[in-house]
Amino acid sequence: MRSPRDPAAPVRAAGLLLAIVVLWPLAVIGEFHPWVLFEAQNLKVMGGFLSAFLPPDTSGEFLAHLGRATLETLAIATAGIALAFVIAVPLAMATTRALSISRIGPGAGQRRGEYLRAALRMLLVVLRGLPELVWALLFVRVFGLGPAAGVLALGLTYGGMLAKVYGEILESGDERPARALLEAGGGRVQALCYGLLPGASQELTSYTVYRWECAVRASVVMGFVGAGGLGQLMDQSMRMLNGGEAASILFTFLLLVLAADALSAVLRRQLGDAGGYGGALAFGPRTLVWLALLGSALVASYGWLDLGFSALLTRDAMASMASYFMSFFPLDLSAPWLAKVARGSLETVAISALGTLLAAACGLLLALPACGRYGQAAEQATRFLLNALRSVPELVWATLMALAAGLGPFAGILALALHTSGVLGRLFAEALQNAPSRPRDALLEAGSPAAAAFLYGTLPQVSPQLIAYSLYRWEMNIRMAAILGFVGAGGLGQLLYVELSLFHHAQASTVIAAMLLLSIAVDAASAWLRRRLGSVTA
Amino acid sequence: MFRLHDVSLRHANGFVALREICLAVTAGEHIAIVGPSGAGKTTLLRLIAASLRPTGGHLDLFGTDPWALSAAELRRLRACIGVAHQAPPLPPRQRVVTAILAGRLGQWPWWKALVSLAYPVDIAGARAALARLDLGERVFDRCDRLSGGQLQRVGIARVLYQQAQLVLADEPVSALDPALALQTVRVLNSDARVRGATLVASLHAVDLALSCFPRIIGMRAGRVAFDLPVAEVDEALLRELYAAEGAFLPAFASDPASDPPPGDGGAPRRGTCWR
Repeated sequence: MRSPRDPAAPVRAAGLLLAIVVLWPLAVIGEFHPWVLFEAQNLKVMGGFLSAFLPPDTSGEFLAHLGRATLETLAIATAGIALAFVIAVPLAMATTRALSISRIGPGAGQRRGEYLRAALRMLLVVLRGLPELVWALLFVRVFGLGPAAGVLALGLTYGGMLAKVYGEILESGDERPARALLEAGGGRVQALCYGLLPGASQELTSYTVYRWECAVRASVVMGFVGAGGLGQLMDQSMRMLNGGEAASILFTFLLLVLAADALSAVLRRQLGDAGGYGGALAFGPRTLVWLALLGSALVASYGWLDLGFSALLTRDAMASMASYFMSFFPLDLSAPWLAKVARGSLETVAISALGTLLAAACGLLLALPACGRYGQAAEQATRFLLNALRSVPELVWATLMALAAGLGPFAGILALALHTSGVLGRLFAEALQNAPSRPRDALLEAGSPAAAAFLYGTLPQVSPQLIAYSLYRWEMNIRMAAILGFVGAGGLGQLLYVELSLFHHAQASTVIAAMLLLSIAVDAASAWLRRRLGSVTA
Repeated sequence: MFRLHDVSLRHANGFVALREICLAVTAGEHIAIVGPSGAGKTTLLRLIAASLRPTGGHLDLFGTDPWALSAAELRRLRACIGVAHQAPPLPPRQRVVTAILAGRLGQWPWWKALVSLAYPVDIAGARAALARLDLGERVFDRCDRLSGGQLQRVGIARVLYQQAQLVLADEPVSALDPALALQTVRVLNSDARVRGATLVASLHAVDLALSCFPRIIGMRAGRVAFDLPVAEVDEALLRELYAAEGAFLPAFASDPASDPPPGDGGAPRRGTCWR
C-alpha cells in the first residue's frame, strides 16, 4: 500500500513561504542586524554606561527629586484617570444601544440616534487610536512643559478606551431591565442606575482599577515628551549618560509598577468579595473607606499638580488653541511626503512585528523555567527577571537600546522585544501551568526526552492560547512602535517628532493620520490571523 | 522479563493500593489481569511501567532495578515499555499521525523529533499501525474529531508503532463494542506474538480475558487472588473474585469464541452484561 502524502504539507509550506516573504523585507526595513550589538564601539559605550549603574545614586538631593517625580507620576495617572472617567461616562451612555430611547417603538428620531451613535463611536476610535504619548506631544506645544499635557493626554486616550469598554460591558448583560424602565417612561440615568448598573458595576469598577494600573505605567514615560513625572528625570539622566541616576530611576520604576500591580490586585479582590453578598452596590463601611481614600487621592493629585486648567478657558487661550488646531489642516498629501510617510509606516510595522515575534520566542524560553519546570529557585529567579523586563517601559528600553545598537529601528525592535518578553513570559508561564500534564507524562513514561515530550505533549495544547496572546500584544505594540521614534528608534514617531519640532503641522497631521490608519489596520489583521490560526493543527 | 517480590504500594494519603505482590513473568508471555474495580489493576501496571515507585518490596525489570538506574538509563529502559491507556492522553488538537509517531520519541534522535513536527517522517508506519485497527483512513484527522472508541484505538496504534518489548495495556478496549474489542485484543496478541514481546493487559471483560490469554491473574483488594493458567480458572474462582459485584460476571460477549463481524457501531448482543 502506497502511503499518502501529508495533506497539510502544501498549506504549511505556503504559510512558511508567506512568512518568509513578509518577514524578510520587514527585517531589511527594520535594519535587523543583531551583530551590531557586539561591535566593539557599541559594547564600550554600553559597558561604560552599565558599569556606572553601580552604585545607584542615593544622594539626598537626588532622592528628593526622585520622590517628587514619583509622586508627580502617580498624581498624573490618578488625575488622568479621573478626567478619563468624566469623559467616558457620558460617551458610554450615549453610545450604548441598550439606553437608547428612540429605539423603542421605534420612536421619533431613531435614524438620528443611530447616526449620532456611529459618529460618537468614530470619535472614540480616534481618541484611543492615537497613543497617549502623541496626544501629550501635541498638548505640550499648547500648554507648555509640565504635567497638564500629560493629564489631558491620558484623559483623552483612556476616556476613549473606557467609553468603549464601558459600553461593551453594559451591552453584554441583560438588556431587558433597562428596556422595561425606559418603556415605563424612565430616563437614561434611571435606566442606567436601576437597570444596567446592578449587573455590571463590579466589572466596570474592576476594569477602571485595571486601567489606573495601566495609567501609572503610561505616565512614567510622559516626561519623555516634556509632560512631567519620572520620565523627564530619566530623559535627563540618559542624555547625560549618568548611570547611577538611571539605575535609581529604573529601580523606582520596578517598585512603582509592582506596587500598582499589587494595589490593583487587592482592590479587585475586594470587589470580588463585595460581589459575594447579594447586591452589586453593597455599601458598607469598607466602601466608605475606599471612597474617602479615592476622594482624597483625587484632591491631592489635582492639588499637587496645580494644573491651572481655568487659565485655559479665557478667550485668548481658546483662540490660540483653535488656531493651533486649524494649523494641522489641510493634511500634506503631496506625493513625496506620502512616500516618506509610507516608508515610516513600513518601518513601524517592521518594528512591531519583529519585536513581538522576538518577544514571543524569548517569552516562551523564559516561561519554561518560570512555570516551575526546573525547580523553585529557577522559578523565582525567572519570575523576578520577567517582572523587571516588563516594569521598564518600552520607551526607556528604547533609550537604552539606542546606546547599545545605535539610533534607528533596530533599537526599537530590541526595546519592544525586551518589554514584551516580560509580559508574554508571564502569560505563557500561566498557560503552561494550566495545561493538562497527562499527555506529556505519558510520553516521558515511554522514554521520550523531556524536550520532545514538551513539543509533542504540552505545546499542542497551549499553542492556540500562546498565539492569541502574542497577536493581542502585537496590536498594542503597533501603537507603541509608532512612538518609539520619539527617542530616535525609527518609524512614524521619528517623523512626527521632527516635523512637530519644525512646526510643520500639515506634515505632522499626515503622520498622525497614518498612525490612526495603521492601528485600525493592525487590529483587523490581527483579528483575521487569530481566526485563521485558531483552526491550525499541531 | 520482570519479577515482583513482596511489592507493596502505599499512596501519600496512606491508602495501601498494593500488598505483598509476588509475580514472575518471562519474556513472550501473554497475561490478563482481571478483578473488580479498585482492586489495584491500574496501579500494578503503572508500577511495572516504572512510572510508580513501590514503597516496599523489590521490582526487577529487564533484569535490573529501574529505580537504581541513572536518569538516562531509566529513560532508555522506559523506551522499551509501551503503555496503552484506558483514556489515551493525547492533546486534543494534535493530529492522529503525530500522536502515533510520538510513540517512538524515546528511540528517535532529537532532530528527527523536530523534523517530524514539520512533516511527519513515517506516514506509512503510522498508517500501517492504524490500518490494523480499521482506522487507516483517519491518519490525518485531529484527535478531537474522533469518538472515544476511535481515540482509544489511536492510543493502541501508538503502542503498536512503538514496538515495545513489554506492552502494558490498561483496560485498552473499554470504549469499544464487543466485536471490535475482541478484534483489537487479538491484534495486540498477534503483534506481541510475532515480535516475541510480552503482553500484560488488565481487562474488565472476563470472557475476553479467558478467550485471548493463556495466563490469568485475579486481583482483589490490592492482592493477587489467583495466578493460574486459563484452563484452571473456573466459574467458582471468578464468582469469588467478583463477589461484591452481584450475581453476574462482567463480560462483553456471550460467546467470545465465535467470529465477530468487524466494524464500529455493533451493538452489544442480547444476554450480555454491558458495562
